[in-house]
Amino acid sequence: MRAGLEVHQQLRTGKLFCRCPCEFSETVTGTFVRRLIAASGEDRSIDPAARFQASRDLLYRYEVTPTSCLVEADEEPPHPLDPNALETALIVSRMLGARVVDEVEIMRKIVVDGSNTSGFQRTALIAVDGVLEVDGRRISIDSISLEEDAARKTAEAPGEVTYRLDRLGIPLLEIATAPEITSGREARAVAEEIGALVRATDRVRRGIGSIREDLNVSADGGRRIEIKGVQELRSIEQYVEGEVERQNLLLRIRETLRQRKAKPPAGDPVDLTDLFESMTEGPLAARAGRARRIFAVALPGFAGLLRSPPGSSERLGRELADYARAFGLAGLLHSDELPGYGVDEGRVADVRSRLGLAPEDAFVLLADASEARSRAVAESIARRAAQAIEGIPGETRDPLPDGRTRYSRPIPGRHRMYPETDVPPIPIRPADLARIDTMLPERPSELRSRLAHDYRLPDDLVRQLVAAGEAARFELLAKRGHPATLVARLLTQDLPPIERVSASTGAELSGEMLDAVLRASERGLFAKEGIPAVLRELAGGARDVAAAAERAGLSGLGDDELERVVREVVGRNRALLAERGEEAFQPLMGDVMKVVRGRRDGQEVAQRLRRAIEQARAGMGA
Amino acid sequence: MTGSRAEDPWAELRALPMGQGVEITDAEGRRWVGTVIPHHELSGDRILQLKLESGYNVGLRIGPGISYRLQPRPAPTLAPREPPPADRPRARGAQSVTLLTTGGTIASRVDYETGGVRPVKSESELFEFYPDLDADGPVHALPVFDRLSENIVPEDWPILAEAVRGSFAAGSHGVVIAHGTDTLGFTAAALSYLLPRLPGPVVLVGAQRSPDRPSSDGRSNLRAAIRLARSSEVGEVVAVMHAGLSDDRFAIHRGTRVRKMHATRRDAFHSPTDGPLGYIDEGAVHWRRPPIAPHPGPAVVDGPLDPRGALLWFYPGLSPAQAEGFAHDRKGIVLAGTGLGHVAATHLDWIRRAVDRGTVVAMTSQCLAGAVDPYVYATGRDLVRAGVTYLGDMLPETAYVKLLWALGHERDVEAVRRRLATPTGGDLSERRLPEEFE
Repeated sequence: MRAGLEVHQQLRTGKLFCRCPCEFSETVTGTFVRRLIAASGEDRSIDPAARFQASRDLLYRYEVTPTSCLVEADEEPPHPLDPNALETALIVSRMLGARVVDEVEIMRKIVVDGSNTSGFQRTALIAVDGVLEVDGRRISIDSISLEEDAARKTAEAPGEVTYRLDRLGIPLLEIATAPEITSGREARAVAEEIGALVRATDRVRRGIGSIREDLNVSADGGRRIEIKGVQELRSIEQYVEGEVERQNLLLRIRETLRQRKAKPPAGDPVDLTDLFESMTEGPLAARAGRARRIFAVALPGFAGLLRSPPGSSERLGRELADYARAFGLAGLLHSDELPGYGVDEGRVADVRSRLGLAPEDAFVLLADASEARSRAVAESIARRAAQAIEGIPGETRDPLPDGRTRYSRPIPGRHRMYPETDVPPIPIRPADLARIDTMLPERPSELRSRLAHDYRLPDDLVRQLVAAGEAARFELLAKRGHPATLVARLLTQDLPPIERVSASTGAELSGEMLDAVLRASERGLFAKEGIPAVLRELAGGARDVAAAAERAGLSGLGDDELERVVREVVGRNRALLAERGEEAFQPLMGDVMKVVRGRRDGQEVAQRLRRAIEQARAGMGA
Repeated sequence: MTGSRAEDPWAELRALPMGQGVEITDAEGRRWVGTVIPHHELSGDRILQLKLESGYNVGLRIGPGISYRLQPRPAPTLAPREPPPADRPRARGAQSVTLLTTGGTIASRVDYETGGVRPVKSESELFEFYPDLDADGPVHALPVFDRLSENIVPEDWPILAEAVRGSFAAGSHGVVIAHGTDTLGFTAAALSYLLPRLPGPVVLVGAQRSPDRPSSDGRSNLRAAIRLARSSEVGEVVAVMHAGLSDDRFAIHRGTRVRKMHATRRDAFHSPTDGPLGYIDEGAVHWRRPPIAPHPGPAVVDGPLDPRGALLWFYPGLSPAQAEGFAHDRKGIVLAGTGLGHVAATHLDWIRRAVDRGTVVAMTSQCLAGAVDPYVYATGRDLVRAGVTYLGDMLPETAYVKLLWALGHERDVEAVRRRLATPTGGDLSERRLPEEFE
């Protein structure tokens, strides 16, 4: 197999073509609606992906936020490209040893799914031919580009999709590798290394969704398939391997179809509503007050090929259903899963005889109110089935949470790009590159060995720190005397879920703030176990460290109070003490900590508890 | 063909035709394969622009040390245009509409040679952008000009009026005029005066986003305009454009009252003093005020225009000598004065001299909304005594167009002044209601 990666990293420089901040917002100040049409580009042809989207004729609703302006609303031409974003792209290009173009030309990439108000995404190729070393292997970097992020989808209803404009226009640095990756594991490692590299610039956004990967996968003898928008590094492996399995299955199906000399299906839907009139259960059952018709499509030669083969979770039947879903149809039933779903053997035989099918032939059944849509779906299913005879169709696929992928749209062609005439080209002169070369940060590999050496941190912690882009904050805090391991764990383990909260509230946890929290803990305001809770309150909008500690219920636990809690727990558990003696310490400690966690140091609590247990047992005469 | 050994291949490369495949080897030995695309007018010196296989364009600096090799010409990059279908479906019984095109964004496409947009030149090119133009009934497109609207001149207005008259004479129920938005308001006013008795609607329409963009407002504006052109309630010149940022609501503005008020937004057009005549919502027309009813007879063109009029925007610091120089060879001048219709007292002398020479001097307000009034301040009273004609709540641009029309019709100065001040085509109103100012 071969795989390539496209890593998309959001920058926090400023939006790419306007001067709005790169921030999300929960405040919606207004909405407007638009329709998009597939316009023809430079050479008058319409891209297949664009045509497909436009054929769905959706209404797009846009939510205006305080972090968007007329540019995102497509009510004002783009402003000049953000110089800071360009600088960041140049820094990364030079870190990868890539050849930077002499003049950056901004392009429009046609995207009419509504995620861009203009109907296109602005994008520019910055550099080509870089190289990245990952675990001793050199992976070629094909291209480094800078593009606009799309608006984010907030709601979907029949015929209408709602997008929020806050994300639209945030710069995305796109780094594409050559298809040289040979395993899912390696794909993940490459993605991690690219992530660490871009974070080394310290100009990137953090948090969920701030880095997204597209995977291009082809099995041996297979075809390049794009899986778009994987957000979690750890799923990369699964998606890559799942796709290889899917392609191998499709290749085996092709062999069988060829042996059977299967011909492309005609795709004429046959109305068999009468056969299903009396059905009372299953997905095809008639429901009171809802018009629906049942159409059957014959797939000659496909019997037995639509279900999953033993040991596989992929099946051709699902591929067909995904095409139906792309048209808004809930799904379909195919003959390999029948009888079943309320369709008995007699009805299957009736369908077969009405369609005039031989034993090697398969069929699918669709239930829908609209005959026009049923025809369109039948046609697309037949087209997909015909492609099974050819092999693997070129597709863009969406990653699903269960690790599978699903058909989303045809793979876009080169027709979708034409020049953005509203923004002049940007020359990159040798002097510009010389200046950039003075700004390059430490490469991740160098950074890792230095951190391991200087701070005596274990390798895995160093790796996590660098991958998370936390080296800068780590060093700031470690140099101020906070314990290195504590700081590293805080930044890599405790902080990410908290910063997800702060990303939505807009309360930024700066290095200075982390320093203040650590200092407060060291002064004894609360125990180190309480640090995450205090940070959570700060992320939630607490005014300062003291206020956060109070909101977290962590301040003001004096010796008397601790003593009272310990005595209360011991008193409540006399029976247990009598029964288990010193072994009762663990469960009692658990009970005490439930009340005082984070407010007092654990060791101190243990000491007091042991003393209280001793006294109690002495009192019991043990 | 094979490569060049020229020491500096710039002269050869820049002469390559658009679409030529070429492989460039740069000074570091990297090969770039692509097709030559036209030099962007703002592209740098010695930059060759290539379209790569990926679809991206890049610019490469060409100089000594760079070699190239021509590649076999790929298939033509321009797909042949589909001819417009000869028998488009035409809804039975629907009234036919003539679509006159004048150029402008609504009928323009990106010109990849200049990086700008250029007007389409034929009906078939127009149908390429708007394939469902005649979905609800017959539409005949007729290019009149192919100019961006900043290049439209007063001499064009009677030609356009004549095209409108001809369209009605040929049996059209209504006429839609696709026009650049920059001067759409001027043309709308001119047609309002030149076509005083209309048998049906004349609807000007434009676009703030070019039709080669998926988000163009041209298509929905045009649909709304064509719909209104089939109305049997309208016998006047109106403009139809987006009412807000959404693609589902359109404002109908009176030709003499409309003005472009925003440089970029889709809802740039406003009727500043009294708001639009009505709206088109989800295809249904709602009137705020009744439109002028259709006239039973044929359309007539009430020309000519005399272009010897001018419009002068007063501002603090405008020198009286310059203003006089500007006005001296004009038969009439419209001033866009401050507030209620004022200019600095230092201008009174030249205005008196101009009026004495027989130049018509008229006053409007650069506030754009509301009416001028000479009697509130001494400056206004002085200007009236000097012979300035005050034009109520008429827009400055409308007043300028009306001046050309009045000069074309009257020889006598007093008659010109009377004609200017006489309400025509809804250009002046006696009452301004509290809720109207938008």
